[in-house]
This record gives sequence, structure tokens and C-alpha cells, in this order.
Amino acid sequence: MTKTDHTVNFTLNGEKKTFATRPDEKLLALLRREGYRGTKYGCGQGTCGACTVLLDGRATYACLLYAMQAEGRAVRTIESAGTFDNPSEFQKQLVAAGAVQCGYCIPGMVMSATALMETEAVLEDEIVKEYMDGNLCRCTGYEKIWVALRKTLDKQAAAPARARRKSSSKGSKK
Amino acid sequence: MKLSEFIRPASLAEARKSLRQLGPKGMPLAGGTALHFMPGKTPVTAVDITRLGLSYIKQKGDFFVIGAATPLADIQRYRGPRWAMHEICRRISTHQVRNVSTIGGNIARVFPWADLPVVLLAMDARLVIYSGKEKDMPADEYFSSQPARLFRGGDLLTAVKIPVLKAHHGFGSVKATRNATAFSLVTIAALLELKGGIIKSARVAAGSGIPFPQRLKPVEAALAGKEASTAVFREAAAAAGAAARWVGGEGMSADYIRQLAEVSILDALERAAEFARGRAA
Repeated sequence: MTKTDHTVNFTLNGEKKTFATRPDEKLLALLRREGYRGTKYGCGQGTCGACTVLLDGRATYACLLYAMQAEGRAVRTIESAGTFDNPSEFQKQLVAAGAVQCGYCIPGMVMSATALMETEAVLEDEIVKEYMDGNLCRCTGYEKIWVALRKTLDKQAAAPARARRKSSSKGSKK
Repeated sequence: MKLSEFIRPASLAEARKSLRQLGPKGMPLAGGTALHFMPGKTPVTAVDITRLGLSYIKQKGDFFVIGAATPLADIQRYRGPRWAMHEICRRISTHQVRNVSTIGGNIARVFPWADLPVVLLAMDARLVIYSGKEKDMPADEYFSSQPARLFRGGDLLTAVKIPVLKAHHGFGSVKATRNATAFSLVTIAALLELKGGIIKSARVAAGSGIPFPQRLKPVEAALAGKEASTAVFREAAAAAGAAARWVGGEGMSADYIRQLAEVSILDALERAAEFARGRAA
């Protein structure tokens, strides 16, 4: 089955798109061949989290999702989270904390943290750990990632309520 | 598993018709996470059942009814009176998998390490199957062997009905793993009905560490009519060896797994008793 005889429509980073695909193509493979290469291929079996994307605002492994499953839904990749010139707060804090070594896990970490920040109002450690439990890092031992995330969350919690509401309404398309 | 085709039926009846026509060449797809690991060189047609209104949780009389395509994350977040399903769902895999993987997918094909069959056996849940019309059956019957036998002819699991726990009922589950997101080594679930400190009835089930999830009848028998105390729980847990054939693996002996099961049974019973005595939900 290498024949390209199917199409899938979904919103990708806010834009409506149509892609040619195959029934057994993974969303991860589609995204990467279409140039969205910030989403990484790590283990390919739903363990490491390097391929994490948001599907209707929820963190999902793109390696365990057939592209066809995304039909009509909203997909967001790391490309929507920030850019080199204009990084998100968490991305800034990761750099500041020295939390990025090889960097391969970071796109997935950022996407899981994005789901956390857009979904949860109370950001206690237990909830944070729950949202981050599907992302592995083999370099840092997590401590610096945790420091960067906690700083980001504390900063968000201290921000005026109006700004929080504005930023959270962006992603909640449930 | 290879997919040769991907279809999105518009109704339950249409999904059943497609699966019926496809026979072994068709496969219902909900979260789809397990499909990636299933062997099989013959490509199948995936029949997407996630767009048929099967994702919901509602309380209906004496039952919580959970749609078969409800993601585990939704069950984990849901709160109802004396709700007990969230604990085990929190322990299944990772956040990303819980967002996609469904209750139906966890039980339509029973993998040896699956947690929900254990919980549903202990809870005395009922499983709703659509075969043109819906009918339900008790978990004991559903899990008596691999449920695939129930889905020949395109029939589909559509919902899981979980009894709402009464005031004197308590539930506890324990999943023993090597690390937080690993597959289960032993999963135990226990439902206790207490009356003035005495165990009126007990349902205890196990999974992983045994070939197929099952109730632990000798453990249950050692509880009925006794006082709900640690000593009684410990004695009942000691019946685990007689209750099932424990299997080792990954460097662990069968005897170790049995001991792990005994400790887990004790923990699950303590939790269930605490729940029955009025733990905050």
C-alpha cells in the first residue's frame, strides 16, 4: 500500500489544510514530510513523547495516530508554540535553566506543557506531573526541565486573570 | 497491523453492516493505539467508531454509563457520587495515551496486562453489546474468555455500565508496576460490602501475572462473613496462591509474582474498607 489514494482534512496550527495520505500513514509521518519537522520521531511506539502534538487541545502521540484519525479536528505542532526569534515563555525558561542538552525531547515537552497550561486552572505539582508523564528526557535528569516549567507556571499564575483567559481561549477547541 | 482502507460509518447500524461484510478483513478503530502493535500481515479496513456518539459518561439510575469510545482521560477526570474509576485510569500508560485510548479498546480485546477488565470484574459491571439492538451482560460472562467471540458478525461493544456504589460499599484497586507508566505486573481490584464492620460480600479480581483476568474466588470466600480487619484481609490474601496460576517473567519468578499479588490484595482490601467507611471521594 504505497498508493496515495486518500485525503485528510484538518486544521493545522490554525490553518485549514488538505493532505494526500494513505490509510496506514501515521500523523507523525505526514507532518514531517509536509515540513513540520519540529515534531520528532523518537521511539515510534508511544513511549518517549518526542512526537507529542495537540489534537483538539489534548496532548497526543503523533506516532500512535493514523493521519486519517485527524479528519475534521484541530492539530497543533511545536511550530505553533513559538519561534527562534519569538519563543514562548516556557521555551525561554528552558534555555535560561540550561534544560536543553540534545534538545530532541523538548518539542514534545513544550506541547505537553501547552496542553497543561491551556486546560488546568490549578497547577499543583501532582497535576503538572500527570500532564508531563508521557515525555522522556535521557540527558538532563528532568530537574532543570522541572525548574523551567515551574517558573513558567508560577509566572502564569501571577499574571492578571484577563491575560490568562485570553491566552487560554486560544487553544481550547474542545 | 496494516490498514488498507479507512472508513467512517455514519451510524452504528452502518458500522455493524460494514464490519459484518468485512469479516476478518475489518477492524473497529477507536483510539487505535493498540492497532499499531497488533501482528497480522494481511491488511485490514479500519472502521472508525469515534464519530458515533459513543463518547460520554452519564449517571442513569443505579449505573454510571460510559460510552465505549470514551477516552481514559475523561474517565479519570469525571467525578460522580462515590465514583471510583479515576484511580485506575490515572495509572494506565501516559497522559498522551489516556487522551486517545478508550475504555472499549481496553476491554474489547483483552491483553494480559489490561487493567480495566480487572476493575470491571470486581465492580460487577455490565457490558452493552449492539447487534442491531443493544443488550447487556454481566462482566463475569463477558470476561469468561476472550470477548472476540461476542463481536463476530460485526456486533460492537457500545457502553459499560458501572453500578453506583452504595453507602456501605467500598472499592479499592492496586496496580503494581516497575515504574509509573510501565505495564502492570499485577493488578488487583476489590469491592467490599460492609455491614457494621462485617464483610457482607466481597468481589476480588486480578489481572496481569496470570494468563487472563479473573475473580479470585478463594480470596472472596475467606472474606465473606468476617470482620473487616487487617488480620482477616491478610489471611484472605494468602489464598491468592490457590486462587490462580501466577506466572513469572522478565526475571521475576512465579512465586515472586504471587507474593506481589498477596501484598496488592491486602492493599486493595484496606483501600476498599477505607472507602466503605466513608473516605472522601
